[in-house]
Amino acid sequence: MEYLIHLAILVGIYTILAQSLNLCFGLGGLFNLAHVASYAIGAYTTALLSTEFGLSLWYTFPASIVLGSILALPIAAISSKLTQDYFAIGTLAFSFVIVALLINWKSLTRGVLGIPGIPRPEILGVNFYENSNFLILTVLVATAAQLILALLFQSRFARGLKAQAEYEEAALSLARNTRRIRGISFFISAGYAGLAGSLFAYYINYIDPSSFSLTEMVFVLTIVVVGKPGSFWGVLGATFFLVLLPEPLRFLDISPSILGPMRQLLYAVILYGVVFFNRYKIFPLQRVI
Amino acid sequence: MDEKREQPALTLQELRFAIHHAQILNGVTFDVSRGETVGVIGPNGSGKTTLFNCINGFYLPTAGKVLFQEREITRMPPFQRAELGLGRVFQNFGIFREMTVLENMVTALEGRQPLRTTFFPWAKQNRKNRERALELLGEVQLAEKAHLKAGSLSGGQMRLLEIMRTFAFGAELFLLDEPTAGVSPKMKEDVAELVRKLQNEKKTILIIEHDIRFIEKFCERIIVLDSGRVLLDDTPEKVKESPLLQEIYFGKRSPSSGLV
Repeated sequence: MEYLIHLAILVGIYTILAQSLNLCFGLGGLFNLAHVASYAIGAYTTALLSTEFGLSLWYTFPASIVLGSILALPIAAISSKLTQDYFAIGTLAFSFVIVALLINWKSLTRGVLGIPGIPRPEILGVNFYENSNFLILTVLVATAAQLILALLFQSRFARGLKAQAEYEEAALSLARNTRRIRGISFFISAGYAGLAGSLFAYYINYIDPSSFSLTEMVFVLTIVVVGKPGSFWGVLGATFFLVLLPEPLRFLDISPSILGPMRQLLYAVILYGVVFFNRYKIFPLQRVI
Repeated sequence: MDEKREQPALTLQELRFAIHHAQILNGVTFDVSRGETVGVIGPNGSGKTTLFNCINGFYLPTAGKVLFQEREITRMPPFQRAELGLGRVFQNFGIFREMTVLENMVTALEGRQPLRTTFFPWAKQNRKNRERALELLGEVQLAEKAHLKAGSLSGGQMRLLEIMRTFAFGAELFLLDEPTAGVSPKMKEDVAELVRKLQNEKKTILIIEHDIRFIEKFCERIIVLDSGRVLLDDTPEKVKESPLLQEIYFGKRSPSSGLV
């Protein structure tokens, strides 16, 4: 039972992380590889505020969202100079800068030692020390997050985002401020990543920079690609599928040293297969005047 | 000067544009009155599309001025020009192929509507927009294709959709960049009919076209561009008779068969 709760919490956190990437990558065609950097900032914000200052969830959630979304500023700056593949490389470099900061700014983050002992939150006398209680919190937050994103996915904002992804000049000639639309999409998706990071820090109780590596980014990207970029329900389904997929392997009689690499291999094969069969659909051709 | 000429919809003054030291536009000056339909022709590389891009704001001219309804817009960003009523139809089809036909229309309709009236999916304005979109699609026989991806339409249908979309957006000035490119001969008549509808709505229209026979039917004026200059600016009859035109298209030895 405890194991199933653990999986459900992970699914909850990843739905927030993947769906928000789906907003800017899926709808907007913006290959933002710094998404996990916002996730990291959210996690560290919560970790530091709750261990150093003993602040409650009422402060850590908003702070994680705000600090996470501040990362949208440099990303938007990168996107104004670089597009498409170059944008991906730019954001990748940027996310490495963030990880390097987490590792080397030891006075703040304790470097690779990480931050242990993050207390579980407590609100209005209800504590979330037990995983079953924490699951309720996660489900509430994740559901609220998905509802707002579901609205956003049908809104005119989403149409503007899709329009600029396909043909920027055509979107501009329909009076869409494409630069602002992109900026807002980075802002929203980074804010969501910050929230996911906050939940993650609370749940795991201990964070270190290794949780926010490129591998993590690739995993989130795999979810979006498998779920079909731009599809709300597809990505939601893919989150369940990919988070739960490697779990049955645990029950096989395999030593843990093989199990880890096997999971990676499984994801790699799935990602390769999906990209191979959809290679013309994942990145629709962008047109220019 | 007749009365119409006193209200220019678009004024270009000494427009110049250069890229990588190549001078594309060499001082283009003309104005277009409200409700007028003007054809723009010229050989490949004469700067027709560049001229449109300068009017739309995708390129910033190196010198000169662009005025829309007597308001200077030379340095204004493209989306703001669109808000003022500048519409563009692209040569390589400006529709969004990944969206449905209906979504394409709705995207245009909500372009100039305030965000608060359209943000929520259940907003009344959104239902109105969908109804209006279907109504307009019906006029170009696309209503039954409303829920198909726009990329699945034929070239002619895409063109009709794009022109209709620009109309739905509420453009006052239409810049049509080769509206018959990639359109089957049969559908060209439908495109022509739609352009006539725009004329009846008193829209101002600029059309780039290679086929002079297509535009002479509805243009009051034809501007001939060559090497980024206005070579001729006259009625279709006068332009067709001009020896200059024969010269730039075919060199000195002009064939007797006319122009294609």
